[in-house]
Order: sequence, then C-alpha cells, then structure tokens
Amino acid sequence: MPVEGIFTNTIEILGKSIDLRARNQNLISSNVANAETPNYVPKSLVFEDELQGALKGGSKGTPAITNARHIPLKGTGSRLQSVTGRVVETPSKSPGMDGNSVEIENEMSKMAENQIMYNASVQILSKKFEGIKTALREGK
Amino acid sequence: MDFFSSMNVSSSALTAERTRMNLISSNLANANATRTPEGGPYKRKDAVFAATPVETRFNRALDNATGREVRQVEVMQIIEDQSQPRMQFDPSHPDANPQGYVAMPNVNVVEEMADMINATRTYEANVTAVQAAKSMALKTLEISK
Repeated sequence: MPVEGIFTNTIEILGKSIDLRARNQNLISSNVANAETPNYVPKSLVFEDELQGALKGGSKGTPAITNARHIPLKGTGSRLQSVTGRVVETPSKSPGMDGNSVEIENEMSKMAENQIMYNASVQILSKKFEGIKTALREGK
Repeated sequence: MDFFSSMNVSSSALTAERTRMNLISSNLANANATRTPEGGPYKRKDAVFAATPVETRFNRALDNATGREVRQVEVMQIIEDQSQPRMQFDPSHPDANPQGYVAMPNVNVVEEMADMINATRTYEANVTAVQAAKSMALKTLEISK
C-alpha cells in the first residue's frame, strides 16, 4: 500500500462529491423556484463522468498513471480538485405555452435523488472518520 | 457555493407565489365588483414573473460558474387584464347602461381556481426544496460526530 497517510483518497472523493451535490441542489432549487417563470429553461450539474475520469486518471490535461512506479505529475488529489462539473440545460420535450420548460415532477425526483446521494456521501464520510477513530483508540 | 443561496432562491419563489395567491384572492373577491376608485368594473390582475441572477458578493468574488447559473424569481410587474368586461343583462342594476347591460369584471372564477391550485402546488414544491436544503446542511454537521 502506498503511503498516503491515514486520510486516503476516499475522503477527498467523498468531499468532492458532497461539494458537487450541494452545487446541484442550488440549481435544482433555482429550477423549482422558476417553475412558473416564462421562457425559463431548467439547468442541471453533470459531474459523474468527470469525477470517474479523475479517479481513473484519464482526466483532461493530466497524465494517467498506468504503472505503480509512475511518478504522479499531479496527484489524484489535484486532479480531483479540478473537477467542477458542467452546467447543462435540461429542457422538457414539451415546453408550455409561456416557453417555460420546467417539469416539476422531474425536478422533485432529481432533488430527492440528489439529497439521498448527498446524505449517503456524508454517512460514508462519517463512518470513515469513525473507523480512523476506532483505530486510534486501539479498537476500544 | 452555499446552502443559504439555495434557501434564498426557494424563499424568493415562496414570496412570488404568495404575491400571486394574493392577486388570485383579490380577483375572486372582486369577481362581481362593478365599481372601483379608477371607475368602471374591477379588472383581473396577474403577476409577471422573471428569473433574476442571484448576485451575492460571495458569488462575485469567487466567480463561481455554478453560482452564476442559479436564478431566483421575482415579481417584476403586476398587470391588469385589458380584456373586455363581461356584459350581463340586469336592467334593475344601478350601473346598468341604457340597454340594460351591466359591465361585470373580466374575472373567470373557474380560471382563478385553477390558478390557485397551481400556485399552491408550486408553493409546496418550494417548501420541500427548502426542507431538502436544510436537512442536507444539518446532515453535514453530523460528519465526525
């Protein structure tokens, strides 16, 4: 096992995931708030593929680590830091007569999903810290 | 990026929907009002919503891409429906014209009721969004508890 200290990569990934989910929550709130605004087009944050790319090491502009003896030019940490996600417009197939293309059912389910994934990340993160604490207490 | 901007966005929508609800109440209450201070029958009122960027100093300083995309909602204008008044035959009414017709407000009660359901549901959706943001923010405080 490479020396990464006790705070492994997982903590950084979970932190990033929490950050991005929180940003996504802002966009979903904005969509729900503008559910009645004429000509409003809903937006969403897409980051899953970028996050996965950063983990695999194939992220844009950073050399991939394909061998354990490679020296990372930019660690996975900094690659993860560069993941910001991208804001995409997600208009519904049938916008209303006022040009508004928010589907409130869709937004509410996206919000529930985002919330559950956020809570899951927080829970795993706190379990991770709990594990470290248990180790520090010698399992007591 | 913070949860408070999410809550601010949702509460701006709550304010906007409440304004709309007030206008709907006003329309329903005055569905039969033939006299107004401006003269003539009551005219149906409606709110015009507009999506406006959330300009916080925090967002500007960070030049945050996601932050720039977040829009809150504002009631830009309250308009009066300029459609023709509903003419109702009632010769005994003091406001009747020589032909015996009274100019009634251009309020369609059924339409107002449908709008009211819409406003209520949107309000509820935004309350749920506030609750979601709140529970997420509180959940974060549980890390390393």
